[in-house]
Amino acid sequence: MTAQSTLTPEEAPPRGQPAAARLLRKLAESPSAGVVIACVLVFTIIGANAPTYTSAGNLQVMGRDLAQVGILAVGESLVILTGGIDLSVGALAGLAGILTAWFNVNQGMPAPLAIVLTLAICAAVGLWHGFMVTRLNVPPFMTTLVTYTIAQGMSLAITTGTPINGIDPLFSNLSQYYIGRVPVPALFFLGVVVIAWFALERTYVGRQIYAVGGNKEAARLAGIPVVRRVTTSYVASAVLAGVVGVLVIGRMNVADPSVGIGWELSAIAAAVVGGVSLFGGEGRMVGIAAGAILLEFIANGLLALKVNAYDQTIVQGVVLLAAVLLDSLRARFFGRTRR
Amino acid sequence: MTAPEGTPGRAVTARLRGVHKSYGPVRVLDLPELDLYAGQVVGVVGENGAGKSTLMGTLSGAVRRDGGEIQIDDKHLVPGSTEAAAALGVAMVSQEFPLVGQLSVAENLLLGRRPRSSRRRFLVDRAALRREAAEMLAEIGLAPSAIPVGRQVRTLPVPTRQMIEIAKAWGRRPRLLILDEPTSSLGPVEGAEVLRLARELAARGGTVLFIGHRLDEVREVSDRVLVLRNGRLVADLEPEQATEERLIREMVGGEVAHSRPKEEPTDTEVLLSLRGLTADGLGPVDLDLRAGEIVGVAGLMGSGRSRLIHTVAGAQPATGGTMTIAGSPYTPHNPGDGAAAGIAMIPEDRKEQSLVLFAPIRANVTLSILRRISTRGLLGPRRERAEAERITSSVNVRMRSVEQPIGALSGGNQQRAIFGRAFATEPRLLLLDEPTRGVDVGAKAEIYELIDRAAERGMAVLVASSELEELLWICHRIAVLNHGRLATVIDRAQATKERIMTAAAGTAPLVPMAEDTSESVAEVVSEDVSEDGVAP
Repeated sequence: MTAQSTLTPEEAPPRGQPAAARLLRKLAESPSAGVVIACVLVFTIIGANAPTYTSAGNLQVMGRDLAQVGILAVGESLVILTGGIDLSVGALAGLAGILTAWFNVNQGMPAPLAIVLTLAICAAVGLWHGFMVTRLNVPPFMTTLVTYTIAQGMSLAITTGTPINGIDPLFSNLSQYYIGRVPVPALFFLGVVVIAWFALERTYVGRQIYAVGGNKEAARLAGIPVVRRVTTSYVASAVLAGVVGVLVIGRMNVADPSVGIGWELSAIAAAVVGGVSLFGGEGRMVGIAAGAILLEFIANGLLALKVNAYDQTIVQGVVLLAAVLLDSLRARFFGRTRR
Repeated sequence: MTAPEGTPGRAVTARLRGVHKSYGPVRVLDLPELDLYAGQVVGVVGENGAGKSTLMGTLSGAVRRDGGEIQIDDKHLVPGSTEAAAALGVAMVSQEFPLVGQLSVAENLLLGRRPRSSRRRFLVDRAALRREAAEMLAEIGLAPSAIPVGRQVRTLPVPTRQMIEIAKAWGRRPRLLILDEPTSSLGPVEGAEVLRLARELAARGGTVLFIGHRLDEVREVSDRVLVLRNGRLVADLEPEQATEERLIREMVGGEVAHSRPKEEPTDTEVLLSLRGLTADGLGPVDLDLRAGEIVGVAGLMGSGRSRLIHTVAGAQPATGGTMTIAGSPYTPHNPGDGAAAGIAMIPEDRKEQSLVLFAPIRANVTLSILRRISTRGLLGPRRERAEAERITSSVNVRMRSVEQPIGALSGGNQQRAIFGRAFATEPRLLLLDEPTRGVDVGAKAEIYELIDRAAERGMAVLVASSELEELLWICHRIAVLNHGRLATVIDRAQATKERIMTAAAGTAPLVPMAEDTSESVAEVVSEDVSEDGVAP
């Protein structure tokens, strides 16, 4: 028996709808599609008005930028999907850069060891977040705010406020080289997106993460290991923050303690623009990636259009507002039920 | 106890004419004419879903009546407004404790008004606040030392909170006081005090509407006992007439218990064995379930029906006793352990406990078998979709496609999908909590068929329900819980509604309940749902 054979009249698909209307409805139903379209529109419009915008050099700049907030947005989204929030990613990325440089320069460790050690520390921080949230029931906001504060403080304490110079050339190789004409960090972003897409959409663990965020009690009663899934997402977010930290010091050839400040908010904005629901359980990887790309297109485009630096921030806020309003309207129109 | 004073012609506190309320097609309250006289305590009894909550709600303004007129002291009561009801002197003490946990006892008692003695206009007069709060507590017989008025309410135990709630209602000097099972969470001393207060208000010329499950208590305190059944007033009795037997007969309607002829397995393997099982608010329970057997769990609100299901499923920790599954010891720490032991549970609240409403049907029905249908951790989309289509068609879910959000389906369709999800795990033991809550009559029959099918396939089924007809219809045996303890197990041949009600409500000694009211609160809420009879 197929599903089609058991239709009752009132549940049968609406007939006589023109194909265009159906396509439009489908697009409106899928949050990812809207962001992708917005990306294309923004790129085309700005490109038409600012000739340097579409140049290879500028595209390479944007690719390298994406390795920062874009990768953070992917990790952040994993946490938000479980119904949490991670405020520590920016500060942790900054600290990871400092730690790697400090291990390498001040402790004389070879660069690969410094990187592995830093990522291990980030993983431990993620485990700690998971423990606080799932076992001690500390709200994610507070748990990660604590890390945010401490991580920022440690960056300053280790460096006493002055950047660490003289890091291994391996770092700049990672960040400044190109494969073909594509900067390596952009490939990192692409790789992270593909892996995260695969994990979320093609593994049962990913699907369980969605379920935990969608309805934690239902997931628990269905026998899903909620604690492990939530912890996994915090670990992934913290490790990705570590990766960003390592890439950033390579790009700047120096470990600066002011790096990463405020990046967590950009990451959250990218996730929300990409269709991730802050209530958890909703949001697709394609949309998240497109959200990060859209924000980068706009940020860079405002520079290309020579918009006043102060006004740029306002424009970015308005973009975020539009995304949130659209999402809320869509939710109302399609009667999405929230707890 | 007290002789009935209620004779027509005396002062009427509440006058109800043609009051009715429906949820969807189900008429849950229909009262052509009812007068509540001044100076009386009026007891109200009825089964779950008889319309008690709806009656209380229409009077207190929490429920908007569909039609009819209500007058309090000859003044029109605006439908569906708690403010209007309060202004006319209606106060209600519910089981849900609408207290603000973070505020102090005194602040809660005077919530929404200023101390009468305070002369300050804008600033809080703490001294007056505390003084007045202490007076309010003293009025209901609580010494200031018993409840410090400065304490945060959330730090107080449930019985104390219940008493604060009563003091708050009492302090409004109500004309009509509605008490919804006020003693269910109280010990004997406080319980007696509440009954005394009810009498005192009546003696002062007010009216008390006393909703109770404990029939002896209702008879003791009331001047008049009303029995509701299916939303209608079926009996209006004086205390002498209101014997326990009479009340139970009126509540259940004296219908013959109907049960279907069904093969009862006797020689199959014992799948689940409980010995002295205890948990918070539950036990001890001793029970055996055979493969292919359907055993019902009956009991009043707060008797531990859901707790039993949750404890066996591993969703609530057991505190003592042993559980055995097919001869092996079973000590679950979480529902995952239960699933691994071959248990599938269908919880009572579809929206809160079962479904991700905005997710597609596909993701909802494969939720419990994601791991099994994955190969080395990888989940193929085609495989998943095929599984989802197989599951939904096996339980006859009517839908456009498995990619529809499950929230768009009717209650019955959602429930069938959840059964499909449970069956997909190929369980040995199926645990059901209110399996037909909020589904229409046709969908109910289909769900009963699914339960039968589970038993025929050799699953042992434990089904908790507040609807006795349902249990009598589908079960081989019915276990009756009373205050968490197993009161009796009745075979189908002997099972009648009267016998079950007597065991569940009867004259069981009052055992102080555990302090956790989470279940009773949940059940109050869900009783409303079952009164709806349809998915909201």
